[in-house]
Amino acid sequence: MEVTMDPLFLAWSYFRRRKLQQCSDICTKILQDNPYDQAAWSLKTCAITEMVYIDEVEVDQEGIAEMMLDESSIAQVARPGTSLRLPGTSQGGGPTPAVRPMTQSGRPITGFVRPSTQSGRPGTMEQAIKTPRTASTARPVTSASGRFIRLGTASMLTNPEGPFINLSRLNLAKYSQKPSLSRTLFEYIFHHENDVKNALDLAAQATEHAQFKDWWWKVQLGKCYYRLGLYREAEKQFRSALNHQEVVDTYLYLAKVYQRLDQPVTALNLFKQGLDHFPGEVTLLTGIARIHEEMNNILSATEYYKDVLKQDNTHVEAIACIGSNHFYTDQPEIALRFYRRLLQMGVYNCQLYNNLGLCCFYAQQYDMTLSSFERALALVASDEEQADVWYNIGHVAVGIGDLTLAYQSFKLTLAFNNDHAEAYNNLAVLELRKGHIEQSKAFLQTAASLAPHMYEPHFNLSILSEKIGDLQSSYTAAQKAEDAFPEHVDTQQLLRQLRQHFTVL
Amino acid sequence: MSSGEWSGDGGKWLDAHYDPVAGLYTFSSCVDLADLSGDGESRLVVGDLGSGCSGMKLKVYRGTALMSESTLLDLPAGLVAFFMDLHEPRIPAVAVASGPCIYVYKNLRPYFKFTLPGLEVNTLEQDVWQQVREGQIDPLTLKEMLESIRKKADVPLSVRSLRFLSLDADDMDDFVQLHKLQPIRRQTVITCIGTLKKSTADEDGVSCLVIGTESSDVFILDPEAFIILSKMSLPAAPTAMDVTGQFDVEFRITVACRNGNIYILRRESDKPKYCIELSSHPVGLVRLGKNVVVGCTDESLQGFTQKGKKLWRTVLAAPITTMAAMDLPTRGFQAVLVGLANCEVQLFRDKNLLSTIKTPDVVTSICFGRYGREDGTLIMTTKGGGLMVKILKRTAAFDDRDSAPGPPPAQSIRLNVPKKTKLYVDQTLRERENGLVMHRAFQMDLSRLRLAAAKAYVKALESSLTPMSSSLTEPLKMNAVVQGLGPSFKLTLNVQNTAACRPVMNLAISFLYDESLYRMRSPYLRIPLLVPGLIYPVETFVECTSDKGISDIIKVFVLHEGRSSPLLTAHINMPVSEGLMLS
Repeated sequence: MEVTMDPLFLAWSYFRRRKLQQCSDICTKILQDNPYDQAAWSLKTCAITEMVYIDEVEVDQEGIAEMMLDESSIAQVARPGTSLRLPGTSQGGGPTPAVRPMTQSGRPITGFVRPSTQSGRPGTMEQAIKTPRTASTARPVTSASGRFIRLGTASMLTNPEGPFINLSRLNLAKYSQKPSLSRTLFEYIFHHENDVKNALDLAAQATEHAQFKDWWWKVQLGKCYYRLGLYREAEKQFRSALNHQEVVDTYLYLAKVYQRLDQPVTALNLFKQGLDHFPGEVTLLTGIARIHEEMNNILSATEYYKDVLKQDNTHVEAIACIGSNHFYTDQPEIALRFYRRLLQMGVYNCQLYNNLGLCCFYAQQYDMTLSSFERALALVASDEEQADVWYNIGHVAVGIGDLTLAYQSFKLTLAFNNDHAEAYNNLAVLELRKGHIEQSKAFLQTAASLAPHMYEPHFNLSILSEKIGDLQSSYTAAQKAEDAFPEHVDTQQLLRQLRQHFTVL
Repeated sequence: MSSGEWSGDGGKWLDAHYDPVAGLYTFSSCVDLADLSGDGESRLVVGDLGSGCSGMKLKVYRGTALMSESTLLDLPAGLVAFFMDLHEPRIPAVAVASGPCIYVYKNLRPYFKFTLPGLEVNTLEQDVWQQVREGQIDPLTLKEMLESIRKKADVPLSVRSLRFLSLDADDMDDFVQLHKLQPIRRQTVITCIGTLKKSTADEDGVSCLVIGTESSDVFILDPEAFIILSKMSLPAAPTAMDVTGQFDVEFRITVACRNGNIYILRRESDKPKYCIELSSHPVGLVRLGKNVVVGCTDESLQGFTQKGKKLWRTVLAAPITTMAAMDLPTRGFQAVLVGLANCEVQLFRDKNLLSTIKTPDVVTSICFGRYGREDGTLIMTTKGGGLMVKILKRTAAFDDRDSAPGPPPAQSIRLNVPKKTKLYVDQTLRERENGLVMHRAFQMDLSRLRLAAAKAYVKALESSLTPMSSSLTEPLKMNAVVQGLGPSFKLTLNVQNTAACRPVMNLAISFLYDESLYRMRSPYLRIPLLVPGLIYPVETFVECTSDKGISDIIKVFVLHEGRSSPLLTAHINMPVSEGLMLS
């Protein structure tokens, strides 16, 4: 005789094995038989929430609205080392753009792509609204709501018969009285439905019911306020939650609030305070390292990443960041070790092979260089990645003096990614060597317009104009190069030479 | 504002007075110190340039207060105080040069006006105007004739004719009627002024005026009769001058000219005796004893002997705004004060920097001498119209230190070269042992990669994937920019012809896109003739019709009329439209 398992238990088992769709289906059946089965209802909300759940701590995308229309940015010139918004506030010790490339915001490129590493504040509205604005590029996402709503609509599409819970008919006051149901319901509203206003209502009533003593509800309130952009209120809730109970998550949320308020120093202090309660907590250490990295203080960032590795030696972000730092401080052989470690851990993608290839080349392990690039090409997932691989191959080709291959590689880079300013710049130099001055000039102008934060195109354009005798353009271009990289000695020399030229009879 | 905080060299100077809103706009040539009332107290006499077109004034300061003020008719070009007679009490007169005249003030009252003699007038021009006066020719013919004279004649036209030539046809008649009865004159203007002792070298000896004019002449005027004692001519118009010696004995006039040369005139000849050719334009000229110090536009200070031999050259930190001599006969101290554009005043003795004074604003004029009863007073006016008075401390000592002994300081800075790691050494060992194998592997990979690259490149070329075409007939380049938040986007395509000199014609742009997602206002665009080198922005609008938050690629093709394959292609990754979702 076949023994059937209790369907609720089966659903629970599916849930624990993260077979969420099956879990939800079984719960639906149970609810059809008995619409008032609270356990099944609760499990189903959990399952549906889990399907679209994203870690709220990690997600941080600043939209154009927050960036450009920020009314609270009063101090335009913050003191060095107190603001995330000023790129030039390095504490020294950071590499120059001549060694380590910069992002649009003026920070060195990090070893690990995560939200808000590559973005940063665009200087003008024009820069901000230029495409593309996907997360893989250096430009900001238009608005946080875009992605959240996309998730919401996607889940609507899977349920053609309508939403599981009709929020507008829900009696929030009733649910807020039942602690066992209200939490799952809240998460469902917050994550699945993305209805922050209703979630806030529910959380407010629930915390009132708990007589303002439940830290969990306070954290949820804070999350809602954060999502709504009410950072000061969010800060209050998180602070009060921390008074009830020390939780790592709360520290992370609070630090996020401070970063959004552009108070990196407060965030750092908070992290350190958190470390007193939770010594060696990896997420807190990573947070500190990230802030140091964003403030251009690469040396201390690396120190903290090393601390992270002492606690958790499989931390991908830490390994990647230390690796890239070694690469850019002229120790590619050590960077190679770190990237190989990533490979051993099972990270197997295009970017990693790309980095491995470059490290091998600069560490003079030539036999493995090109095979790494070949593998990277085989693993390519998007056109942008392919463009990056070809760009690096172009670099290797320049290094071995094969200019034909270099030319082809840079052209291929542009075929796959029309906005690759670096490739435009390098191609311009190659064209100039061939004597095609007009083409070279056109490429440099394009590179300069695509990436005004790079000093190379401006500098090259300046040299080119100086050679063909157009001193005025040369001077303006050199000034732009100086803006992008004030310490660049060659630019300064060129400027001095030009000024002398202008004064001499 | 306390002035003390600004003084960078507070050990040597006392801050006597600083008025940032004195409203004094002037240059070093229009500032002088003189005992105007004969009571032993020196006053500061300033020719104020006002706003440049109005408000020119002659101002006299006593202590910290403005003592008198009288209006000037024209912009002052120079101002000097000088003794014109031997009367007691010894009160100097003030000569202000402006336009073609010198206005002499005595006891701060206008005393005499001297006008430079007119220049030779072109006879042809005179004849033409004569005919106009007699009514023989009309204004249009006059214009033609004057223009032909202007082209041919070696004597330039008068101001009146030049003004006439610049008029519109309607205004000519009135102008002719108004002016035809007056005779034609040609006037020059004064560019610089100086004084020269007549016969004695005494402090209060009678002085002649030395005038440099736009017509490249230098005149020496008799102080009592105001007749021209001597006339000398230069190859170019003078801009600054320095005079030393006595007229009756021997003198030397050093003149900086607009052609970048410095000429030295002596008593015997009316032509320059020596010439110094500079590498850039002179900004200021100061004589120290027997040497001449010149500041140039290339941010340098140069020293020359009286005979034009170059002694030294130093490079300064910023462009020079003004220069003045600092002469303390009681201490036998002579140096040059140089005002710089970076808000500093530097003191040089020969090529050695003695001290630096930091100022709150850029200094435009410097004057050093006896002010009130204090011998060592430094008076500066700033670009913003401020007046600053500093007094040299009696204990101040300037020590000469030779500026360039030993190795440059950069030599002792240690470079932060990262150490080579043990890992690196191990790897080089591996390289040394397996060099041959590694090389072979690399060469093989390289050949494979070259093949792969060539294949991909050919594929890209065949389908014109690259955003630039390198064909010989139409070398083009394009890049695309999308702007906007959606659902409307603006698509800007920047097309550029990269050929050296050939224009490109008959081009068009078309788009390929998913019609269920996007709607384009004009999916086919014609491109105008492309001139080489210029960037042509071609704009169109795209509307996203989907509300699902999906985005797609739009392909752009640049086509040539009569050819089926595109010249170049660009893929635009459209951003997600957010406009619909927010509503």
